[in-house]
Amino acid sequence: MKFKIPIFDVKNLSFSVRGQKILLHISLEIFSGEYVAIIGPNGGGKTTLIRMLLGLESPSEGNIKLFGKKLSNFKSWHKIGYVPQRASLVDANFPATVSDIVNMGRTAQRSLFSFLSKEDKVAVNDAMTKMDILDLKNKMVGTLSGGQRQRVMIARALASKPEILILDEPNTGVDIVSQRNFYALLAKLNKEEKITIVFITHDIGVIADDIGRLFTINQKAIVCNNPKEALSCEEMSTLYGIEAHLIHNHKHEH
Amino acid sequence: MLEMLEYEFMQRALIAGMLIALLASISGTFVVLKRYSMISETLAHSALVGVAVGLVAGFNPLWIAVLVAILSAWLIEYLRSSFSLYSDAILAILLSGSLAIAVIIVSLGGAFNNSLFSYLFGSILAVSNEDVFTILFFGTVALVLLLAFAKELYFIAYDEEVAKTSGIKVQFLNFLLVTVVAIIIALSIRIVGSLLIGALMVIPTVAALQYRVGFLNTMFLSVAFALLSVISGMTLSFYFSLPSGATIVLCVLSFFIISLIANKK
Repeated sequence: MKFKIPIFDVKNLSFSVRGQKILLHISLEIFSGEYVAIIGPNGGGKTTLIRMLLGLESPSEGNIKLFGKKLSNFKSWHKIGYVPQRASLVDANFPATVSDIVNMGRTAQRSLFSFLSKEDKVAVNDAMTKMDILDLKNKMVGTLSGGQRQRVMIARALASKPEILILDEPNTGVDIVSQRNFYALLAKLNKEEKITIVFITHDIGVIADDIGRLFTINQKAIVCNNPKEALSCEEMSTLYGIEAHLIHNHKHEH
Repeated sequence: MLEMLEYEFMQRALIAGMLIALLASISGTFVVLKRYSMISETLAHSALVGVAVGLVAGFNPLWIAVLVAILSAWLIEYLRSSFSLYSDAILAILLSGSLAIAVIIVSLGGAFNNSLFSYLFGSILAVSNEDVFTILFFGTVALVLLLAFAKELYFIAYDEEVAKTSGIKVQFLNFLLVTVVAIIIALSIRIVGSLLIGALMVIPTVAALQYRVGFLNTMFLSVAFALLSVISGMTLSFYFSLPSGATIVLCVLSFFIISLIANKK
């Protein structure tokens, strides 16, 4: 598959906190239409990498370009949808209906004082329909299950009509059935809506079925262009520092 | 009720009080949701420094209180965003520091009298025409700013980082919110007093949260509780010669207790 438009262009990125090196000389590119998974051990720097890509942390050295522009000059944030770690573990007392949360996805595009425009309403409705949560729109988000909350958070990210969706361990606090539906949903968004997907996961067994590329992060980055072959036991052992045995899942192989 | 309105000072106090109830409850919604309730107490004590300077130097204490509260709010936000200090610790430090400075200023200036007492606990008798004008002017500015950025402030309260990654100017809006809160608190101390204003800002929202309704309905309930508390508190204060600030706070506390019991799981 050929990709033309680079969304993320990362060159020689390093990050240290109080002398402790978290990431070292990371260089990678993510292109429009890709489906990328990021795996690695806890503390390996996966979330830090995502946070730097989103401008939430400043790198110690290196450069990041978003859609061809330097991060500091980038303004089109509506092109990026972000679902952070533990997003579905919401504060049950926060006064928010499902609509309130999904509407947030349109906030940056609305002008001062404005109510939702017709375009905003269509985008919100569309996002809720895609996530199959339209019937929940008046429910308080604190009363929903983990899987439902997860879909609400993704709907919020989709409401801005992003070109790329970034998800940081989105399955935290979500049951196994919802997790399976979730992966099917991500694949559908990638294939049918042409949304670029980047997500961090620990769920190594599931990801190899649909993803195009795999980044393994443990201070340094290893980019695997063919995840099914690249996830060899030796590489996994090196990455996680333990003896690993890969169990093949042939369910989706054609 | 009607007899009460025959007095000009009560008309002034009610106009000022209702505007303050509206402002305190709307801004309080964002402050509580950001888990930043203690900022109201700290800024109230900072405003007291402005009152002390005003009383000693002979300026309008309310104007100086607004100025000092704004500077204090910016200092809090700067310390919070630029240093790895705990937010509640910053608030505690500035609260006691401000009170100490205020007490020293009034002691040195010999102004530790009834005038300062009225700013500590609020007094409807003390509201002048100039105070009403000041509250109307600054209060309108604060209200316009809150309504203009309400949706952004709500998003930030829910998830500051996602709001930032969606292109919202989080740092600017955090500064704006604390500035508006500082203005509202400084204006409120005439009616409710610096020791009690925190209650009018926080309790109506906490009471409204017990009903577990969406954002707009929570804000409407909060405004309703605050307005009813100010009106009933001032009425009781007038007829029973009670201190206005304390009576208003007891009224809002009653709404909170009723809400808590009515919505018990």
